[in-house]
Amino acid sequence: MSNKITKSSTAEYFSKNLQQVGFSSPLKAVLTTLKESVDNSLDACEQAGILPEIEVQVQRVGQGSSKNTDLVKITVEDNGPGIDPDDLAKVFGEYLASSKFGRGQCSRGQQGIGISAATTWAQLTNAKGAFVMSKTKNMKKAVRGQVDVDIKSNTGIFRNRESVDWDKKSGVRVEFTIDGRVQLNGDGGLITYLEGTVLVNPHLTLKYKLLENDWAHVERVTSTVPEIPEATLPHPHTFKLGEFITHSTLYGKISLDKFLKTGFSRISDQSLKDFVGKGLPKGLLSQPVTSLKEDAFKKVFQAVQDTELMAPSTKSVMTVGEDALSKSIQRLGEVDFFSVVTRKPAICDFKPVVVEVALARFINRNQEADDSVQLLRFANRVPLQFDKSGCAITWAIESVNWKSYGLQQPKGSLPLGPYVFAVSLTSPFIKFKNASKETIDASEELVEEIRRALMQAGQKLSRHIKKEFKEADLERKLAHIEQFGPILVETLVRITKSPESRKAKAEEGLRKLLGRDSKEAIADLEEAESRLQKQKSREAKRLGLSDDEDGEGGGGRRSEAEVDVIGEEIAQQAAVATKAGTKKTTGPVSTKKEAGTKKK
Amino acid sequence: MAKLISIRELKIDIPKEAKILAERMLSDLEKSKRPVLEAVKTSLDNSYYNPKVGYLQAGEKRVRTELNVSSVQKLARVVFMLEILLRNLDIGSVNTKRELYYISKGLIKGNPRLRPLDFDDQPESDTIIDFIGDMLQVYREELNCFANDRGGQTYSQNLVVTETMNDGDKATIDLSTLGTAPFQPKNKPQSLKLKAKKKIDFALVIESEGTANTLQSMGFTKRNNAILIGAQGVPSNAVRGWCKLIEDELSVPMYFFGDLDAYTMQNIFRTLKAGSAASLIRNADFSAPEVKFLGVLPEDVKKYDLPYYKVKESDPAEARALKKAKDALENDPFFLDKKNKGLSDILRWLLKEKIRCEQQSLFSVDPNDPIKMEKIILEKIKKGNYV
Repeated sequence: MSNKITKSSTAEYFSKNLQQVGFSSPLKAVLTTLKESVDNSLDACEQAGILPEIEVQVQRVGQGSSKNTDLVKITVEDNGPGIDPDDLAKVFGEYLASSKFGRGQCSRGQQGIGISAATTWAQLTNAKGAFVMSKTKNMKKAVRGQVDVDIKSNTGIFRNRESVDWDKKSGVRVEFTIDGRVQLNGDGGLITYLEGTVLVNPHLTLKYKLLENDWAHVERVTSTVPEIPEATLPHPHTFKLGEFITHSTLYGKISLDKFLKTGFSRISDQSLKDFVGKGLPKGLLSQPVTSLKEDAFKKVFQAVQDTELMAPSTKSVMTVGEDALSKSIQRLGEVDFFSVVTRKPAICDFKPVVVEVALARFINRNQEADDSVQLLRFANRVPLQFDKSGCAITWAIESVNWKSYGLQQPKGSLPLGPYVFAVSLTSPFIKFKNASKETIDASEELVEEIRRALMQAGQKLSRHIKKEFKEADLERKLAHIEQFGPILVETLVRITKSPESRKAKAEEGLRKLLGRDSKEAIADLEEAESRLQKQKSREAKRLGLSDDEDGEGGGGRRSEAEVDVIGEEIAQQAAVATKAGTKKTTGPVSTKKEAGTKKK
Repeated sequence: MAKLISIRELKIDIPKEAKILAERMLSDLEKSKRPVLEAVKTSLDNSYYNPKVGYLQAGEKRVRTELNVSSVQKLARVVFMLEILLRNLDIGSVNTKRELYYISKGLIKGNPRLRPLDFDDQPESDTIIDFIGDMLQVYREELNCFANDRGGQTYSQNLVVTETMNDGDKATIDLSTLGTAPFQPKNKPQSLKLKAKKKIDFALVIESEGTANTLQSMGFTKRNNAILIGAQGVPSNAVRGWCKLIEDELSVPMYFFGDLDAYTMQNIFRTLKAGSAASLIRNADFSAPEVKFLGVLPEDVKKYDLPYYKVKESDPAEARALKKAKDALENDPFFLDKKNKGLSDILRWLLKEKIRCEQQSLFSVDPNDPIKMEKIILEKIKKGNYV
C-alpha cells in the first residue's frame, strides 16, 4: 500500500516540477530530451560492450501548442542491445525505475528520472508520449509503439504495440515530439552538446541532422569500448547521520559489525576495534541494526567519524585517457594546437575522482580573440551546459593565472581567445548543486584537483603560445631596426649638422648593435621551438603517428622525467599565484593536495 | 623675433646642450657603442625634502634608456621631438603639448619614412616631451612648451602687475581697476613684476574658486589690504609660480584655506607649499614654502560646531585618498620632516577620525551674516590660529 502511494506521488511530483530536471524553458526542453536519449543509448551500449553508433535527428514539424514554441521532433536511434519489449513501458514511462540508482558506478544516468521526464514533457505539450522501437538480438522482428506515463500511478503504459521488420541486429529508436525551441550554437546549443559528447566518447560514431543542415557524420577514433569499473561501496566519511541510518535499512536484520563491514568500503576488523577505542560501546557490535535506537546510531556514527580510515579506493573511476582525447579533439574541427592531461585518480572529500583536461586552439571556429574561451564541462562524460558560474570547473579555471601561460585573462574570469577548454570529471559520486545536474558542487579539494590538471595542461599549451610569442617578438624587433634605426641616425646627423660620411658610419654601427640583439631573439625563438618540438614528438608518439627510437612502450604515459618537470612548474606557479593573490580558493595550494591524499 | 623672457637664470644653453647630447649619441653609434640617455627620476622615491629650502628636490636616481631593439623606437622619437623643440627655440615659437602632438603628426604625414614614429595619442608624445625636459633638467616652458593656465584668479585693491611680453613691450595692470573681474596669472611668473600701492597685510589662497569669488563680491579686498586668490583645486604650475612670486617679491604672509580632508592636505596644500614629485626639477620656482594652513583645522570643527560627514570607505575615491594618506605618512619626505609635524598630525587625525569637513561649512556658523566666513578667517589670522 505505502509502496503505491510513493510511486504515484513520484510521477505527479515530477510532472509538476519538470523545471527541476531540465525542462525549465522550451530551449532546455529540446536539449534535455536529446541529452537523456543519447545518454541512455551510450550507457546501454557500454554495458553490453557494443561500440555505439548513434543517429540523431532534430526537426521542426510545426507550431507548438504553447506560446512562442515550435513543435520539435527529436529522434535518437542506437545499435545497442535493445530493450526487452516487456520493459519498454517501465524504462520510458516510470520514474526511478532505474538499474543504476545509487550503485556507485561512473554511468551517465544515475537515478532513472530523465527519460521519463522527457516522456512526460511530450505528453504534457503534445498529448503523446514517446514513440519507441526496440529489438534485442533474440528477436526476429522489432516491436514498436507509444509509451505514456500514467501520472497517477507512476506506471508506464505501452500502447499500439505492433511488430515490424527492422534491418538491425539490435537497437532502440526513440522519438519525442514536443513543444520547444531549437538553439544550435552557444552554451545551451545542440551542436555544443553533440560536439562535447563526441569529444569525451572517442569510441562513438555519430550521425546527426539538425534542422535544415546536412547530415553530419563523425567517425569513432578508437574501437575499445570503455570498461566501466566495478561499483564501489561508499566511504563512511561521506555520510551524514540520517543517511547512515537509512543506509542500514537496506541490509535487513544483520548485526552492526557485519553492516559496517559489508555496507561500506575501507572498514576492516581493525577499524571496528578502533571504533570501540573512539567510544563505540562494544556490546552494540553484535546487535542487529534493526534493533538500534537513534541515540545508539549516533554513538556509532560519531565513533566512525572520529576514526581515521583509509581513503577510498580509486579503482572505481574511469578515464577517457590522454591518447583517446588527443585523437577525439581532432574531430571538433581543424586543430591549431592542443594539450591534454589525464590526472591520476585522486580522493576529494573521500570520493574517488579523475579529472581530465583538453585545451585546444582551432582554426576557423568562429571565435574572436577577445571572447572568453569556449568552455565544455563534463560530469561522468555528460556535457553540462547551464549555470556555469557556480560550477567547480569554472571556479578552478578562474583561479588559475593563465597569463603565465601566455593567455589573456581579465582578473578572476575565464581566459580569452579562440580556444576550447574541455574539463571532464569522472566519479561514481559526483555531488551536483541541483537535480538537473548542471553544476558540480565546488568543494575546496575538488577545485584544487581540477586546478592542478588545468595547470598541467596550461603548461603544455604555453609551449605553443610562447613559440608564437617569440616569433612575433623577433619580427617586431627586426621591424624596429629597419624602421627606427635610419630615422634616429638621420635626425642626429641633422641636429649636429654632421657630414653624410658620419651618417653611413653610424648606421653601420647601429646595425651591428641591434644585430646582436636580434641574434638573441633568434636564439630565444629557437629554444622555444625545440621545447615545443620535444613536446610534439611525445604527443605524436601517443597518437601513434610516429615511432620514436624509444617507441616500444608506444602510446604510454608521460615519462617520469616530464611529470617531474611539470610538477615543479606547477609548484612555481602555485607560489606565484599565492604571492599575487589571484586565487579564488584559499589556503596554501601546494600542500592542500597532499593533505587530501594523506587522510586515511 | 626677440628672445623670450627667461623663466629663471638658466645655467645651460639648451640648443648647445642638445647638440652636445646628439653629438655624443652619434659618435657612440659610430663606435658601435650603445648610446645611453639619462633623465632625473621624477618620483616620490627620488624626492627629498630640505626644511631649509622648503620644497621637494630631486635625489640621485636616474632613469637610463640604453639603445637596444626595444628602446630604439623611444630614442628615435626623443631625437625627433627634440628637433622640433630646438626649431621652436630657434625661431621663438611656442606651443602647448597638444599642439606639439599635431605638429609631429603633420611632419610624419609629409614624410612617409617617418610613419613608424607616429604617436597613437597625445599621452605618447607627452611622455617624450617630459622625458626631454627631465633629461636636460629644464622646464617645459624653457623648451617653449606651455600649459594652459588654470586657476589662480586674483583680486586685490593694492596690487599692480607689470608684464613683459614676448616682443619686449610692457603692460601694467592695476588690479583695483578690474572691477569684479579677477587677474589671471600666466604660467610665466617670471615675466611679471609686482608692486604694492600700499602695504599688503596678507595673501589668502582659497581652495574653492567659487568661495573666493563670494568673498570678493562681499567686499573682502575693500575691507582688507590683501591679495585674494582662488586655487581651483590642485594648484597648476601657473598658480604655484604665481604664489612663489608673491612670496618673493612682496614678502607678505600667505594663508591657505580649504577643506579638511586627506586629499586637500596632500594633493592641494602640499603641492602648493612644496611642489610635487612629478615636477622635481621645477619645484624651486613653482612652490610657495611659506604658505600656512589656515584651515579648516580639526579644532575649528569643534570650536565653530561645523557640520561634517563620515568618509565613506566604500567609495573607491575616498578609500584611495585614505590609503594615499597612509602612504604619505610613511613615505612622503614632506610629511616625514619634523618641520611639518603640525601638518602630518592633521593627516593622522583625519585617518583616525575618518571624517571630512568642507571649507563652505563656515557658512553654517551664522547663516544670517553673509560675511561670517571673512570674520572667522580674520580672527584666525589675528589669533595665529593656523599651522
